Amino acid sequence: MFGHVGHRFHLLKRWKTRHIHSLRPLVPDSRWPGYGVVVGIEVHAQIKSRQKLFSNTRNAEPDDPPNTLVSPYDAAFPGTLPKLNPVCVELGVRAALALGCVIQPRSAFDRKHYFYSDLPTGYQITQHYAPFATDGVLQLTKSDIPVRITQVQLEQDTGKSMTDRRRRITSVDLNRAGAGLMEIVSEPDIRSPEEAADYVRTLQALLRSVGSSDGNMEAGSLRCDVNVSVSKLGERFGTRCEIKNLNSVRFMTIAIVHEIRRQVAVLEAGGSVLQETRGFDEEKAETYALRSKEDAPDYRYMPDPNLPPLLLGEEYVFRVKKELPPLPNVTRARLLALGLSERDVDVLMTIDADIDTEYDGTAKRGAVAYFDEVSQGRNPKTAVNWITNELLGQLTLKYPSKNPFQANKVSVAQMSELVDLVSSKMITGPAGKTILRYIINNDSSGMPAALAQELSLLAVDDGDTSLKQWCEEAIQALPAEVTAIRRGNVNVINKVLGRVMKLSRGTADAKTAKAMLENILLSK
Amino acid sequence: MSPHIRQNIAYGALYTLDLAKSNFAVSVESIPIAIKDNICTKSMPTTCSSKMLQDFTSPFDATVVELLNKAGHTLVGKANCDEFGMGSLNIHSVHGPVLNPHSKDQRRSAGGSSGGSAAAVKSEMCLAALGTDTGGSVRLPASYCGVVGLKPSYGIISRWGVVSYADSLDCVGVLGKDVNYVERIFKTIALYDHRDPSAASPKVRKQAATECANLLARCTTASNLSGLRVGIPQEYFPSELSSAVVEPLRHTITALTERGASVVSVSLPSTPYALSAYYVIASAEASSNLARYDGIQYGLRVDPPKTADTKKTANVYAHSRTEGFGPEVQKRILLGTYALTADAFDNYFLQAQRVRSLVRADFDRVFRARNVLVADSESKDDDASAVDVLLHPSAIQTAPRLDEARAPGDLSAYVQDVLTVPASLAGLPAMSVPVQPAEDSWPVGVTVVGQWGCDDAVLQVGKIIEEIEVRRSV
Repeated sequence: MFGHVGHRFHLLKRWKTRHIHSLRPLVPDSRWPGYGVVVGIEVHAQIKSRQKLFSNTRNAEPDDPPNTLVSPYDAAFPGTLPKLNPVCVELGVRAALALGCVIQPRSAFDRKHYFYSDLPTGYQITQHYAPFATDGVLQLTKSDIPVRITQVQLEQDTGKSMTDRRRRITSVDLNRAGAGLMEIVSEPDIRSPEEAADYVRTLQALLRSVGSSDGNMEAGSLRCDVNVSVSKLGERFGTRCEIKNLNSVRFMTIAIVHEIRRQVAVLEAGGSVLQETRGFDEEKAETYALRSKEDAPDYRYMPDPNLPPLLLGEEYVFRVKKELPPLPNVTRARLLALGLSERDVDVLMTIDADIDTEYDGTAKRGAVAYFDEVSQGRNPKTAVNWITNELLGQLTLKYPSKNPFQANKVSVAQMSELVDLVSSKMITGPAGKTILRYIINNDSSGMPAALAQELSLLAVDDGDTSLKQWCEEAIQALPAEVTAIRRGNVNVINKVLGRVMKLSRGTADAKTAKAMLENILLSK
Repeated sequence: MSPHIRQNIAYGALYTLDLAKSNFAVSVESIPIAIKDNICTKSMPTTCSSKMLQDFTSPFDATVVELLNKAGHTLVGKANCDEFGMGSLNIHSVHGPVLNPHSKDQRRSAGGSSGGSAAAVKSEMCLAALGTDTGGSVRLPASYCGVVGLKPSYGIISRWGVVSYADSLDCVGVLGKDVNYVERIFKTIALYDHRDPSAASPKVRKQAATECANLLARCTTASNLSGLRVGIPQEYFPSELSSAVVEPLRHTITALTERGASVVSVSLPSTPYALSAYYVIASAEASSNLARYDGIQYGLRVDPPKTADTKKTANVYAHSRTEGFGPEVQKRILLGTYALTADAFDNYFLQAQRVRSLVRADFDRVFRARNVLVADSESKDDDASAVDVLLHPSAIQTAPRLDEARAPGDLSAYVQDVLTVPASLAGLPAMSVPVQPAEDSWPVGVTVVGQWGCDDAVLQVGKIIEEIEVRRSV
């Protein structure tokens, strides 16, 4: 019945064997000459499910008032029992598959006991002895280094507590108590602060792409604990310290650098590094001691007697794998193959990386999806140009403080028709931009063809009659410029051209107009 | 919400009486029932007989309470019990002890922890009562008070709304004036509840029902038991066993044999280790389940004095918990916490779990019916030594005297559980039926134990024994 308890010891044995054969060597760094750095990271990512892990309370959003999303189970009332939310399991399995993990057919839940004001039950349900996924790998995007994933496990989040030291009061908000978390533990394969930042950013993008988590450190949906140790190059690994409570990738990098320097200084002075848990002071940009190894609590892990083992069969895992949304590297390769430039792909994917996922893993409608639909049956490079240059440009102007794409109300149908109108030369490029600006500024749902008609932007189709008229009008209006042109200052023709465009309200074709002007002004 | 009064009512049995329902009319449809005070009720407080929850009213009804209400039964009040279900004598209670109603002259224990439930039934404040049984807490008081007490198979009755003592052992139990009342209430509440993650699935219940039906088909009538094989476990006669309980059991065995049943001796060799294993597991789980009582969300809150160290959360909680928990509960929490510490975990907690597996295997070996919870188990129709049910004395003695001074370190209270804990560890259905007392005229019970899911068989054999007793007293 408790066979899974012995399993953890097998896990450790296997790690030790790999330790001898495949550990990445230390990497020299001019910032700490003669020393190498070893970093391992534990990430807690909030699972983007509608409901909590063991109760059907809705998960809190930032606007929810405190203590309004708390069921009797969440508040640890007597007589309540946990009920596993299968959506959390599926989103966890998605993340684990994206990390190339082995999904354990049998895993179990344990209780981790400690007393704290944000933990109403006095224990957290986690998977200490037998996590549901093991042995994965994350390929870093910038440095192309593989970082092995030890395990992924499901566990409960705590509530939030805030202490007012002056008034000696701690306030507790249980909205978050019982929300689902994935803990992702890396092997100590990271060798620099920059690699650590790369690891976290790559992991964030991956989690968002499969819809398992928003992975947003600032918003609190992703938390990192970092283990750092240093040792002289060529020697065995040193004692590690854990740094907790890091709120952004930037602060994490700064904290790691500070910790490395601190440990090197200790060793240089002939001392030895104490195994400690440390916090990070953002103002001083320093780590500080929280508790030592001696003060480390005994969590008295006990298998949770209420919850049966989690059985994940082959068919289930196969189905989840089949339905996995594409991973970032796959999407990138596909877009590049369509002929998009690296820059365009970057823009689309960066936008998507910044948009929160949908609840319960439903497919996200981001910039890439938008592009895919607009480019259906059209030239992808034309489509991407309109989207990344014109659409995003206009949106950024109108909504400077938001993620521009999240504010977008221009529908796929509107965008598609606009692209078609320009491609077929029914309107000019500038006219198209005008229409787009109109749609955005007026929140219009009108279709571009109808709007072109309304705004008199349709390209005039009367041979050269109107164009000739506009050119002559422009020449009339700018005598000084005309004189300059005829004297040999050919570039000034652009100013006249500009007047022609204005007179035509953008409906004239610039190339044709310029040719006509040149003909009129230069050939005489 | 009905007005209720808090007082010790006759024998301290009911701690809360629902006044609106106290003058009940007994009808065929509506049975008056008392509810043990560790089962949540919206309309009356749920104190678990503890200072910690003395003023607590649950915001929801337990599933079993919902089912009883839906069926139209009358919930007459909340029954006194040992604090949080921990105790064998019902003396550890903020409402005071429960007195055994059998005799007003002698103050004797009603048994525990469901002493109030048993006393309420015996003194006819109700015809049935719900209790909980973790290590014998329904069967023991039933035996001491002289009523019927059923501990069903683990996982058959929903624990949603039942305050946890030890999750892997807790069962809702039914006490009643006779087996018929117990059976009726049992059938009303033995339903699958998705809110209880430890509830046996509908599929497994069906499988067990098939095994049980096969068994019952063998015993055609109460007068002809030639198809029934009854096992008497030889390890259930420890030296502590009083002669007062052995004689009545012998009479029962003789009567069954006279009606054609085969009664054989069987061996359950792990029995001597069961009591220790039980107390390690139960205390460990209790220390975990009672960690939630901190006075923050609900329950007793004792503010730390101004000079106290409030930097660590545990130091703040300690004031409420020291005041709120009685000495027996504190003792078990401390022992259970120790058993889970990193140093002790292997030798105590894991070792106790290994013993538990051995105890389970012992039972599976002697029963004819297969245990449907065990993959690849098989029924032993051809095995001549296999039995349908077990029969043994419910307790080692009759009701103990309340005034017997107990020296510190006296473990005799714990030894009372020695006959009941094996069925708890194995999750098997077990029912105590009162039989005619011998010597000191105080009530005596015999317990019928069946294979997992064969609650129906246990009830039917219990009915036969009851009928034998009725005949004898005529």
